[in-house]
Formats: sequence, structure tokens, C-alpha cells
Amino acid sequence: MDVAQFIIYGLINGSLYGLVALGLALAFGIMGYLNIAHGDLIMLAAYGSFWLFKIWHVDPFISIPLMMVVMFAAGAVLYVAVFSHLSKFPILDRLKNSILVSFGLMMVFTNMATVLWTADERCTTPFYSGMVIDIAGIRLPYIGLATIALAIIITLALHVFLTKTYFGKAIRATAQDWEAAELMGIDVARTYLFSFAFAVATAGIAGSVISTNVVSPSIGLDWTNYGLILVILAGVGNINAILPAGLLLGVVEAISVYLAGVPYTGVAGLVMFVLVLMLRPQGLFKGRAAL
Amino acid sequence: MISTQGAWKKLSVAAGVVAFLAFIPTVMSAHYLVNVLSLFFLYVTIAQAWNILGGYTGQLNVGQAAFFGIGALATRLTWVVGLPFYLAFPVGGISALLLAGLIGLPSLRLRGHYFAIGTFALAIIARIVIGNILPGVALAPGEYAANYSLLPRYYLALSLAFSVTLVMHLVVNSKLGLGMMTTRDDEEAAEAIGVNTFKLKVLAFALSSFFTGLGGGFFAFYYISYYYYVPFDLLWCFEPLLITFVGGVATIIGPILGSILFVALKETFALTFGEISVLIFGVVFVFVVLFLPGGLISLSEKFRRLLHKSVV
Amino acid sequence: MLEIDKIDVYHGGDIQALWQISLKVEDKEIVALIGSNGAGKSTVLKSISGLLKPRKGTISYGGIRLDKIPPQKIVEIGICMVPEGRRLFPDMSVLENLELGAYLGHSRQAKDETISWVYEIFPVLKERARQAARTLSGGEQQMLAIGRALMSQPKLLLLDEISLGLSPLLVETIYDVIKRISESRRITILAVEQNVNMILELANRAYIIENGHIVGQGDANALLESGAVKDAYLGITPAQGEVQ
Repeated sequence: MDVAQFIIYGLINGSLYGLVALGLALAFGIMGYLNIAHGDLIMLAAYGSFWLFKIWHVDPFISIPLMMVVMFAAGAVLYVAVFSHLSKFPILDRLKNSILVSFGLMMVFTNMATVLWTADERCTTPFYSGMVIDIAGIRLPYIGLATIALAIIITLALHVFLTKTYFGKAIRATAQDWEAAELMGIDVARTYLFSFAFAVATAGIAGSVISTNVVSPSIGLDWTNYGLILVILAGVGNINAILPAGLLLGVVEAISVYLAGVPYTGVAGLVMFVLVLMLRPQGLFKGRAAL
Repeated sequence: MISTQGAWKKLSVAAGVVAFLAFIPTVMSAHYLVNVLSLFFLYVTIAQAWNILGGYTGQLNVGQAAFFGIGALATRLTWVVGLPFYLAFPVGGISALLLAGLIGLPSLRLRGHYFAIGTFALAIIARIVIGNILPGVALAPGEYAANYSLLPRYYLALSLAFSVTLVMHLVVNSKLGLGMMTTRDDEEAAEAIGVNTFKLKVLAFALSSFFTGLGGGFFAFYYISYYYYVPFDLLWCFEPLLITFVGGVATIIGPILGSILFVALKETFALTFGEISVLIFGVVFVFVVLFLPGGLISLSEKFRRLLHKSVV
Repeated sequence: MLEIDKIDVYHGGDIQALWQISLKVEDKEIVALIGSNGAGKSTVLKSISGLLKPRKGTISYGGIRLDKIPPQKIVEIGICMVPEGRRLFPDMSVLENLELGAYLGHSRQAKDETISWVYEIFPVLKERARQAARTLSGGEQQMLAIGRALMSQPKLLLLDEISLGLSPLLVETIYDVIKRISESRRITILAVEQNVNMILELANRAYIIENGHIVGQGDANALLESGAVKDAYLGITPAQGEVQ
């Protein structure tokens, strides 16, 4: 396989990383809540897609709108039951307490999944699973292309929503100064609720895509990890840079695998993460918090 | 500050408790109790270690698992290739110290939430890398397994917990401790009055990582065989944090109280709930974080105030 | 009419900031609330706008109890605050900041009209419409903060130390504008200030607050000429009551 093929795979993986990280970045950027159970929510959504496929033969990509709705509702419940109580804390406490609380949720979700569905690995296998488009010897998997397209569409849609709609602007304002937002008549509690629920809804998208690959109770942490790395690479609050950061990471990862082999896949992310944190903690991408 | 009389009283109470604990295995060969207590001592150790950096110096290290894991790894590897344990044990502490120096020194320059995120990501990455490079089981060679004796492990754990508590007590009540707390409360103000906040943060990080590494070394000694990734599991990041917060942050007794409650709960849940014990534990975890931010100590404070009000 | 009746307000749980504060603002008046640093002036405004709730006493406007409703409802009723330190949305443009001022129902519909009006009274904002708020100068930021508050079509405008950090000329210009719009649009003004002379020239009446207590009140001109204001700043507390 030549480099070009690796890079294609890198772009595909990177798009997926971007989809995964969006929810994490949204919750963190808007409210200061670092939800490290995000990866496990993706895991649960992946199971949702899997069962829809297994029992009712729903194509995983078709299941996306349904999973988004379900996860949105789940996110709203999660917010009201758990995360809303954190809004009374000042910013640094919010971070620490959201990490702690979401760790507890991680334990709940992984244990629940193991008990309900066992530790066996599953995946959805739509008919086009292995299919590729072959262009000049480069293989472009259908699923991979769909992933890239999804990532671009969602990122653009989010950008339009946040910059062109009134509610979107209200969300950004709340993220920048929630007390001032209150003084404008913005219902901050409701804004937070919606934002969090929406962040969890994006887990529904990522989960559906991931269901075509590997689903098991233990996959959550890996995805949270990618989410965290991208949040730092993109810069806290810079939602627009999440997908570019993902693509960058994906490509760098692919090249390092090309050069050094598969066991070192995680190392690329590690090195980039550490370098950015040490040398440029505000993130690689220009433009202040786009939120 | 501390009256000599008060200090002697405290010392004698502590000595009494330690003597009692040391005495236990000689009368009760009840393995269960000795095992539980050993784990209790381990948790006290890593909670105290966390507290020196987190509670007293205000730097939220959410990545303790990386240091615990490295300590376990270094100790287990050197021990298994022939290094006598009394040397392999400090190797664990030192390797954690080295890791802290490598990653920790630059990371201490990070402000606010970046330090927490950075250390946390470090732990995740360490966990994943170990899972990739050493996916198997760390086996102690046959003779170690055959000669396994619980008693030395119990006493090692007890001494470790006692040493860390003693060191904490000495540091906290010294000028160093005062500097650390000042740094925690307002770093800029501390700098302004001449406190070398960076040096103190480094010192706290060093102490914290060293003892955490020793804790990891104990883990490698205590368990005969385990998957290599287990001491790197993220649980080791959060349990000391939770224990310290439940018990009372920035107190010496907090991690001890928290560990008592933690171990008691864990054992009870494991016995009662079996399969879903982790789930139940997670729920309790969430509750504690949300509704008990001050910890058990604050509960006793509130109780005392209530008593006061009703009397006055 | 705004009526504050004997409120006690606490900060962060147990620290009392205001003791038995009472004051009234009639419609279309310009009333000043003056006092030295830390006297409690901002706390009064925050209590009116709903960010803080009094533990005792009542605040009402046009018969509606403000201390019982959330900040959003208070804005809906027609009370808007220009907060201390402006509190603009730093990474949003001038235009976006203004738009957000008109977030609620009726003001949202009139948004375009109101924006044209704000551009009329503060032309520099129109020039900088697409710039991020953080890139504006201090004076421009203050104008934007006021413009943003005006977007909600308020009947009562609360001004919290708008002269802070601005040159006297700029402050005069801004207060001129305030006076004009107060008359032309019949907006009631309650202004908190440390810059006593400026505000007393503008206002009809004034209250003096010190250490969380109202220590004097009366006609603005009278206060300007009497020594009561100086005394308040020097910490000499006259008996409560009108100053002739």
C-alpha cells in the first residue's frame, strides 16, 4: 500500500475523530463541563444502532436521525439529573466536578452495557460494508466516504446554526459571559440544557458510524481520549477547528503507522497532544474561541 | 501554632492506633481482614499523596494512574528479573518521580484547567499505550508465588501509609506547607510576597508522585499476577480524588476517613450487588460529588454548628 | 415607578451588603445613586435586575414584585442594566452584541428599527459594526454596552458606573446622549456613579449610599451645593433624611 492510501484512511479516521470530539468540545466550550463519559455515550449509541440493525434491519446510517433524537432526550435527562447541579460552581470547580461526575457515569454505563449485552464484540454489517470505489488504484471505502461527508455536513450545519440563528448566537453569548447573557433576557438554564442535550445527540451520530466497526462495552475510553486530544489541538472553545484538527491527527497518525507500524498508532496522538499542551496550549488553530 | 502538649497527645494517639493495627495480624489470622486492611493502607497512601499536590497546593492532578502504573511496572519488572524486592520497591517510587520530572515539570507551568486536562490525558494515553505494548499478564515467577506470605505485605502497606501520613504532617505544619497553601489560595499574591510558587509546586509534585509510585510498587508486590494494564486503569486517577474529597480535602485525616468509607462501601457492594456493584458504586460516586462537595469533614462541621446553634 | 422598600441583601451566602435600603424612582426621572467604592451601589442595581435577591424587603416596579421573578422576566418588563465593566460578549461583533440586546419577544421584532436608532446616537458603532467587541476602545465599548441595553426598549435603564476608565470629555458626551434619549424616549434612568459632579448635574434627584446604608437623599442641585456629599465620601454620616 502506498502513502496515498494511508492518507485516505487517515482522513477517514480523522473525520470520525472529529465527529466524536464535537460533542465533547461543545459541552466543554459552552458550559465548562468536561464529560469524560462522552465516549461511553457513543458506545451506548453504537449499541442502539447495532440492535436496530440486528432486530429491524435498519441501516446504521439511516438510523442516525433516530439515534440523534434518542440521544438528545437522553442528554436532556442526564443534564437535568446530573449536570445541572454543577452550574452553581465556579469555573475551575465545574471542570473538576464534571470530570468526577462523568467518571461515575462511565462506571455506570460500562457496567450496564456489560451486564446487558456481555463483553462480546459486535458490529453492524450493512451490505456495502466492504465495498470500495477504486480510483487509480486508491481504494475509497463507501463507509469511509460517508463518514467524511457526514463530518463535513455536521460541522458546517453547526457553524451556520451558531452564527446565523438567533438561538445559536444566544448560545455563543452564554458561553462567553453567562451573567451578561442573563441580563439580556436569555434563559441560561434552558440554553445549557439544550446545548448539553445537543452535544449528547452528536454522540448518536458518531455511535451509528462506529457501529459499523467495533462495538463492545469497553470502547468508550478510546473515543473519549480522541475527543480530549482534539479539544486541545483545536483550542478550547474553537468548535470550527475540531474537524480540521481531527483530519490533521488522522493523517499524522496514518503516516506514523506507515513509517513505524500499527502498535504505535496511539503514539502520534500522544506526541501531538503533549507538544501542543507544552508549546501552544491555546490550540493549533487561529481564530479565538469561535464560540 | 501547635502546642507541645497537643502535639504529644496527637502523637500518642497515632502511635496507639499504629500499634493496634500492627498487632492485628498476630492475633487474628483472619485473612480477609488483613487483606482488606492492606488495601485500606494502599488507598490511604495514594489519597494522601494526591492531597499534598491537590488539596494543599491546589494543583489538580487527574492523572495519578500514570504514576501509580509506572511504579507498579518498574517494581514488577525489576523484581522479576532478579533485583531483590527491597531495591525494586524504591525503583517504583523513583520511576514515578522521573515521569513527574519529565512531564510534570513543564506541565506545572500550565494554568488552571490545562493542568487537570493535561495530567488526565497523560493517564489515558499511558493506559492505552500499555494496553498496546503489554497486553498480557504480569506473572510472578513460580517461587515468589509459592512463597507468598501476606504478613510482610501487610506491614509494608502499614508502614507506607504511616510514612506518607507522617511526611504529610511534617510538611503541612512547616513553612513549606504554609507556602503551598498560600500558592493554592492565590498564586499571584503568593508570588508577590516572595513565595517561590514554582519550587513549591515542584516539591509537592515530587512528593506526590514518589509516594504514588511506591504505592504502585506495593501493588506489584501484593498481587501475584495481574494484567499489566490494571495499575494504569483510570480508576486509580479517580478513587484517590474521590476519597480525599469525601474525607475532606486539605486535611490529614480526610484521606484516612475517606478511605475507611470507601473500602467499607466497596466491600459491601461487592458482596451485596455482585455483577452490578460497579454500577451502584458509580451512582453513589455521582451522588457524593454533587451533594457533598465539602466532604465528610464539612458534615461534621455542619453538625457541630447545628449543635452550637441549638445550645446557644 | 420603581420602589425599593427596606431591602437586606447578602453576598455569597453570609456577607451582608445592604441594610434596609429604600429608594424610589418616578417615571421619566433621572436619579443618581452615589457613594464611594464598596458602598453597595452596584449591589442595589444587581438586586433590581434580579442577579441578586434580597433576603428581606421588597422591590417593585409598576406594581410588579421584581424580587420574586427571574432576570429574564425583569428584562421583559422593561428594566435593563448596563452592567459594571460593560460585560460585552468579547468575541462577538458589535452588531451581534446589539442583536442580542433585542433577544426578547417584542424588542426582537423592532430590532432593525432600534439598531438604526442606536447607530444614530452612537455613529461610531455603525463604523465598527462587524468588529469584535474586544477590539473596541474603552469609550466605544461603553457606547456599545449602552446601545445594547437600549435594544431591549427599556422603560427603566440602570447604569452601573459608566464613567469608569473613560476620559472626562467622553463621559460628558455619553451623559449628554443619555440625557437626550431619556427625554426623547421617556426612559427613566437610575445611575450609579462615583463621579459625583457629572451625575449630579444631570440628575433630578440623588441618594447617597455608604457602607450599605442610605445616608442622604435630595434634590441633585441642592446636594451638589451642600457639603453632604463631601461628608459621605469622607465617612461622616449625617442623620437619614432630606437635605435642604
